[in-house]
Amino acid sequence: PPQALHRAIPPFAPYIPVALLPSLAFILLSATFALAFYFSTLPKTTLPVREVAVASTASILGGFGVVALFCSMGVYL
Amino acid sequence: MLAHWRSGLPLFLLTTLAPFFAAGHSFENTAIVRTVELGGSVVHVTTTYAVKALEDGASVYTIALGEKEKESTSWLAAKIKGQSVKLHVEQHSLNLDGGVYLYDVNLPAPLKTGGTTNIVVETVQTHVTYPYPEEASQKDGQSLKYESDLLVLSPYDTAVQRTKIRSPFPQIHSYTEPEVEYTQDAAVTKSGATLTYGPYKNIPASSSNQFAAEKQQRIFVHFSYEHPILEITKLERAAEISHWGANLNIQDNINLLNAGPKLKGHFSRLEHQSQSFFQRPAPHMLPGLTLHLPAGIRDVYYYDLVGNVSTSKLRTTSSVPKGSQSNQYSVLELKPRYPIMGGWNYSFTLGWDSPLADSAGWDKESGKWIVGIPVMTLIPGTVVDEEELKIILPEGATDIEFHPPFPALLNRLSTHITYLDTTGRPAITLAYKNLTDKHAGIVYVAYKVPLSAHFKKPVVVATALLGVFALAFVWKRVDTRIQKQK
Repeated sequence: PPQALHRAIPPFAPYIPVALLPSLAFILLSATFALAFYFSTLPKTTLPVREVAVASTASILGGFGVVALFCSMGVYL
Repeated sequence: MLAHWRSGLPLFLLTTLAPFFAAGHSFENTAIVRTVELGGSVVHVTTTYAVKALEDGASVYTIALGEKEKESTSWLAAKIKGQSVKLHVEQHSLNLDGGVYLYDVNLPAPLKTGGTTNIVVETVQTHVTYPYPEEASQKDGQSLKYESDLLVLSPYDTAVQRTKIRSPFPQIHSYTEPEVEYTQDAAVTKSGATLTYGPYKNIPASSSNQFAAEKQQRIFVHFSYEHPILEITKLERAAEISHWGANLNIQDNINLLNAGPKLKGHFSRLEHQSQSFFQRPAPHMLPGLTLHLPAGIRDVYYYDLVGNVSTSKLRTTSSVPKGSQSNQYSVLELKPRYPIMGGWNYSFTLGWDSPLADSAGWDKESGKWIVGIPVMTLIPGTVVDEEELKIILPEGATDIEFHPPFPALLNRLSTHITYLDTTGRPAITLAYKNLTDKHAGIVYVAYKVPLSAHFKKPVVVATALLGVFALAFVWKRVDTRIQKQK
């Protein structure tokens, strides 16, 4: 019966504790901002290795940062 | 009965199913007592059948409900008197005598010949009372009329039966005094706020259309009722589950109707203020509502078409463990912008967030999350005419199973799109009708969310940002000057 099973199983726990989300959002988004600034200062090269690396890191950090930001603002995704 | 059969097939069916119709002879009712507790929009009826088995091994007892009674019954449960285990009740799918509905109750143990038992059938009826007079001014009182069938139907012979109708308030204005052939004494007696129709003796098997047409009568009770009568014409409940935010958001869109007598004349603010000053409010006026919301909620919002409603008071309690039957609840006192007079409607939206750990758990064996979502917020004595419950699961949820506490009128799976969604979230929609206090159950949903689905949102945002970076990359390499530099 679902009722007994529902009571017995351990409660839901997110991968990242909710209390950490605001601080995480701040750190990740500041890092994204800093890396984006750094990206804007990079010189043009034939093989844009550094640009691609900086852009990818900034994007990933920004992705998680935006999701954490939404959750800390009360829009629970 | 034979006149109804036109071809040979129904006759063949009749002979093969004859043993089932012999059910009329396997029991005898020694006494039937029906107690009706009158209320505003909800009426509770408890019928106790004292039965005696006439043959060995009788284990299925059949109860009968007339057509009007069946239409108004929104909840039915049977048990043996003194025990709390609910018996299995099944409606007959074959209904030869249209107009009478039969339900089979499975007894816990078969009875021997001469064995007796008491079966208690509780039903809840909705929309069986109506305000009479239909209009009342602000100063008038409120009275309701209740109508019902006089005799309790049964496919078995009944030795004696009586119906007790109890009014919650002492004033009963009038009641039907029928002519009944089953008694020598007065057909109805009144004692305080209780009317007793009966005892009526030696009633034969009464679950046929012929009996209903000839012997059944309607009775009316006109009584005063001192509380406002609440009816929720439409309830739309949306429950949204978030795994990143570990949050369950529940939002109710409620259309509230005061189902009392319609207001006669105009609404006088002066009269309303003087009533509240002298503390003599009109019985059909609803100034506000007190709701019991779950424990551990936060960020409660209450707004209507005009905007946020600030005339409310909330007292929360801290979370209780998931699934515990504690009686801790948060109290929300709502005061709409205007007092709801008879016949007036009020629509509002009420919502809150609660930690997902209070409602959901992780089942390691099946690899699924199981969440329990209440069907509605219980408002005592109120009937919900129509409800639509929408449960929105996280994006990418698969293997969805749901267990409603009672069958829904219809259910469907759809896709709901909200913030930062790409493929959308699965949403289960359940539709209900005529819900009462007894229907305040919990829907259990089990679902799986693969790890990749959890990362969908951050990856989508990252892709969008990468797109911006790519645009900047291209922009740096394109010469946008109008005149070439020499």
